[in-house]
Amino acid sequence: MLRRLFGWSGLWLALLCGLTGQATAAEVCAIDDADHEVCLAAPAERIVALSPSITELLYAAGAGERLVGTVGFSDYPPAAIELPRVGSHERLDLEALLVLEPDLVVAWISGNPREQLDRLRRLGIPLFLSETRDFEGVADSLERLGRLAGSEASAAATAAAFREDTRALRAQYRAASPVPVFYQVWEQPLMTINGEHWISQALALCGGENVFAEASAGVPRVGIESVLARDPEAILTGGAGSPESPWLESWRDHARMTAVRRDNLFVVDPSLVQRATPRLLEGTRKICEHLEVARDRR
Amino acid sequence: MIVASRVGHGPRLAPLALLALAALLALGLSLALGSVSIPFEALLEVLNGEGEALHRTLVLELRLPRALAAFGTGALLALSGALMQVLLRNPLADPYVLGLSGGAAVAALAAMLAGLGATLVAGAAFGGALASMLIVFGLAHGTGSWTPTRLLLTGVVMAAGWGALITLLLAISPVERLPGMLYWLMGDMAYAASPWPVLAVAAVSLVVMLPLGRTLNVLARGGLQAMALGVAVRPLEWTLYLLASLMTAVAVTTAGSIGFVGLMVPHMLRLRLGNDQRLILPASLLAGGTLLTLADTLARTLIAPQQLPVGVITALLGVPSFLYLLYRSR
Repeated sequence: MLRRLFGWSGLWLALLCGLTGQATAAEVCAIDDADHEVCLAAPAERIVALSPSITELLYAAGAGERLVGTVGFSDYPPAAIELPRVGSHERLDLEALLVLEPDLVVAWISGNPREQLDRLRRLGIPLFLSETRDFEGVADSLERLGRLAGSEASAAATAAAFREDTRALRAQYRAASPVPVFYQVWEQPLMTINGEHWISQALALCGGENVFAEASAGVPRVGIESVLARDPEAILTGGAGSPESPWLESWRDHARMTAVRRDNLFVVDPSLVQRATPRLLEGTRKICEHLEVARDRR
Repeated sequence: MIVASRVGHGPRLAPLALLALAALLALGLSLALGSVSIPFEALLEVLNGEGEALHRTLVLELRLPRALAAFGTGALLALSGALMQVLLRNPLADPYVLGLSGGAAVAALAAMLAGLGATLVAGAAFGGALASMLIVFGLAHGTGSWTPTRLLLTGVVMAAGWGALITLLLAISPVERLPGMLYWLMGDMAYAASPWPVLAVAAVSLVVMLPLGRTLNVLARGGLQAMALGVAVRPLEWTLYLLASLMTAVAVTTAGSIGFVGLMVPHMLRLRLGNDQRLILPASLLAGGTLLTLADTLARTLIAPQQLPVGVITALLGVPSFLYLLYRSR
């Protein structure tokens, strides 16, 4: 009798659990940047991010508490510094990753070794492949990652605010007169970005014109002569990060350049513009301020 | 162990037994060590087919395939190095000296530049290695007299040409693809998808080469002597060339170009064991495999979770021990 009672209650308990489980464990799906649909039986609770930008995106999407691991150089927000590391983005430590028992790994298409991602997939770990390309991509990634991480509401709010602020900034500079800009990514070799890159879009938003917008490579290496020939009105760089970048100093040898004559050599914090995350908006504001200074010096 | 029993007719079994033991130890070590520490009892449980799911995944799906792939790759590189040194009768010959890795690298980098997937990159590497082999073969064969020196020179010049193309490809590649390409050039066991191709080719090559051991001993003394002793020198040389190239192509396809193993392992063994090919060939296979397995274990654990390219470790381990052996052997 007693046993039967327990048996019954056990059955009821199982049923109840099953019901409530079903209620909370709704399947979540999102399309990743490789156009694959990623579906999880329940929102992810143990997420590993495989690039510093993805780490930032996940925190911004309200999934920070569900992050259990990341890769080297993940330094923002400060909480990310404490997360366990699974190697660097270009050489993953799969053992360290597996031991975290992730139920979602957000990988970086162009940054992570494909062989290692294939192996993760074969081990049955859900992969979301990410490649954020522009402002809309940031907002969109926030929403999709929020959906998979069960923080849809806060992610949607952040994404909406990001879109709104971007729209406001765009409206503010819509009528601003164009400033030809050279954005320097690196000095040796001299590298810049083409028109498709989000930094170029940030420049455009502020009324800047990337002088290498038509280049075919995303991050082209260019000759110094072609920079001189395009005679930009301002030179911006993420450079070394300090206001007195030696990269900018070396432009002063070319005293006849418009940018040098007017002293329009500006440094922007690379972590604000060279990662496609919500902080890009802050970086864009800085770029806009610099370009306003350039306009004032005409 | 299969290897040791196959050379029952060989001259000396003790060194081979020792090397086989070392190989087993190295494989065991690579299963036991990783960036995640697994207690010894848990490891035994996994090897008995039990244990936690996580431990099983780590040991059986990450460490074991990678250890076997490292062993097979090292074995292939050392074996083809030993063959190349006999073929070219030049102590500086290694599996890459005839431009094979260069051809593989150019094709693999071009495939990466085109944005192809991992399988196609590996296929391209294999194709590139074979193409390079055929070009060198054809040119060295060409008109006029054929000598190992001519083959060596053709190969070295081809290698220089491939080197220039590699630089060109790196220079015109988009910046975001560069790290992947550079890591491929450094060589890394993380790229090995499956250990079976290298292991199978290593086993087959050994089986093919072992009966030729005595003939190779004669060839190593010089082509003219060998011919005088009734060895069909030309066919034998081409067999060596094709087999060594094939082995290198499979190794490069599996793990990129890993230096040092093919050059140093046969020499180290010769310094200790003498120049009897019947002994040197199986010994190279075992020692090359052991060296690369150990090196790869260190590469993934030394500064974990950071992972090192295995080529760094093979050179750092091998150079001092080689120099020591060379110094002792005066």
